[in-house]
Amino acid sequence: MKSSRTGRFALGTAIIAVPLALALLGPLFTGDPGPRATSFTFGHGHWLGTDFVGRDVWQQVLHGGRPVVVTALAATALCYLVALPVGLLGALTHRRWLEELLMRPLDVLLAVPSLLLILLVASVFTPGPVGLALMVALVNVPDAARIVRAAAAEAAARPVVEALRMQGETWWRMAVGYVARAMLRTLVADVGTRLTGVLYLVATAAFLGVGVAPDAADWAVMVDRNRIGLFVQPWAVVVPALLIVALTMGTNLLFDAALDDGPGHARARGAGRRNATTKTLRSRAGSDVRP
Amino acid sequence: MRGLRSLVARRLLLGIVQTTAVVLLIFALTEALPGDAAVALAGDQPDSARIEAIRKAMHLDRPAPERLIEWVTGLLHGDLGTSLTSGRPVSSYLTGGFGPTLLLATLTVALLVPLGFGLGILAARHAGGLIDRLVSSMTLAVYAVPEFALGVLLVTVLALRLGWLPPTAVGYGTDLLAHPAALVLPVLVLLSRPVCSLTRLVRAGMIDALASPYVAQARRYGISGARIHLTHALPGALAPAAQHLARTIDWLLCGVIVVEALYTIPGLGTVLLNAVAERDVPVVQGLAVLFGVLTVVLNLGADLVAHRLAPRAGVAA
Repeated sequence: MKSSRTGRFALGTAIIAVPLALALLGPLFTGDPGPRATSFTFGHGHWLGTDFVGRDVWQQVLHGGRPVVVTALAATALCYLVALPVGLLGALTHRRWLEELLMRPLDVLLAVPSLLLILLVASVFTPGPVGLALMVALVNVPDAARIVRAAAAEAAARPVVEALRMQGETWWRMAVGYVARAMLRTLVADVGTRLTGVLYLVATAAFLGVGVAPDAADWAVMVDRNRIGLFVQPWAVVVPALLIVALTMGTNLLFDAALDDGPGHARARGAGRRNATTKTLRSRAGSDVRP
Repeated sequence: MRGLRSLVARRLLLGIVQTTAVVLLIFALTEALPGDAAVALAGDQPDSARIEAIRKAMHLDRPAPERLIEWVTGLLHGDLGTSLTSGRPVSSYLTGGFGPTLLLATLTVALLVPLGFGLGILAARHAGGLIDRLVSSMTLAVYAVPEFALGVLLVTVLALRLGWLPPTAVGYGTDLLAHPAALVLPVLVLLSRPVCSLTRLVRAGMIDALASPYVAQARRYGISGARIHLTHALPGALAPAAQHLARTIDWLLCGVIVVEALYTIPGLGTVLLNAVAERDVPVVQGLAVLFGVLTVVLNLGADLVAHRLAPRAGVAA
């Protein structure tokens, strides 16, 4: 099965390479935007044509990946910034009321559909990219915190922790030195699914016009705004759409391949070890992968 | 039995708390408006007449608790308030957009269940083989893709290049059932994500069940393969799938909003997006209550069904 894993790794890398490189390095290679041409035309040095206001599509593509990727990364980081301490504290505290106080409100938040919450806020405020990142992080916190808590509770129940406690080790050493390290694997797996979900949500929100300027250089916005010219100038839509597809697909494939244990483990029999642990944790957390 | 009842009771209680929280959260939205809500909602060129009209329509001149009580009483009677832009009751917006959305959702769920289970069982039967690897990597790949990107690519290829299907539902009104060709692309796009996750869940559940001692025992009895798959292993894989089916409601909701925008279908998603764009807060609130409560109730139902199928498995309560 080793070759299969390497193959999937290569496939994921190949798919994500182009959009990621464009997103990270694209802005460095953009030239002078130049004068605006007629909307939705070809030629005259615009090798991908022009967009709905006559800007060069290639220049927009070079600029448009960074907001998607940066917002998604920031939202994921923000989400764990809240979820990690809340989940760890919830799992390791001996005070029942504190655990309830931390975790119960999250149960309630889990019930609100993520895109609905974002649209609700957008109907009242006009959030910018920072606001969008904050909102996407917020809707992911409940699920992430539950996974952290479930993973930490499992690690904290091991005999090692008992031994550490009897040795009189400090709380910090137990929580960070052992429990946090023991749950790292589950966490990385969760980061993978969460990043995929966050990318989905960030791109979809931008497509619906939340958190972005109406003429922003952003792949999702390009898809939305250039749709009216789909008959005349499909490249202004197809190229950014393909890049988003490759970005999200590649992220998911890459994380799945990277976390697979490869030979000797149960992939041939079905669910790998990682999948089995995450699955039990997920079902224990009573939640599932949310978009 | 006692344990069961208390678990069900706790889950029901959680459902009630969730509903209350959703309603409060949605109400709190207008309170979160910076400064004078009426001025903030009046738009870029606020004139005093419009501000006054908004203040009157939303009863902003009265204290918040009083408005909350009135709003909730209205909700219980099915009165969701009136739109700020048109003055029509919010419920007329909901009934107007309900048909197309319900049609889309019903078609999607009706196709999702056989497709998801079929592919999942197929992959599990050939676990490790070519078909399994094909299905697994396809579902893994498509699962992550946002609907709008997939949808726009499908439109370009199937509608514009090949001309097989109409690119949008423009001109068909709400009577979409009379134009099935216009429904193919939206339903296909709506299906893409849930089918993938359901397939993966059913596959994993089936493989776990097929490796279990009770299936080995059934094999020793000489029960045929197909019967083992369908009557012994499948029920074990059903509980997580049932729970998941309700979670897909969240996805369907996201999907419906995007798909309706993409194919210009006049459903609830379009109503919501228009209301958001026009800052028509009462309409947004009405729709949010409808969607939020629907999600809570469906999750509740799924948890109870899953609990009934597999009492050992913990339920979110």
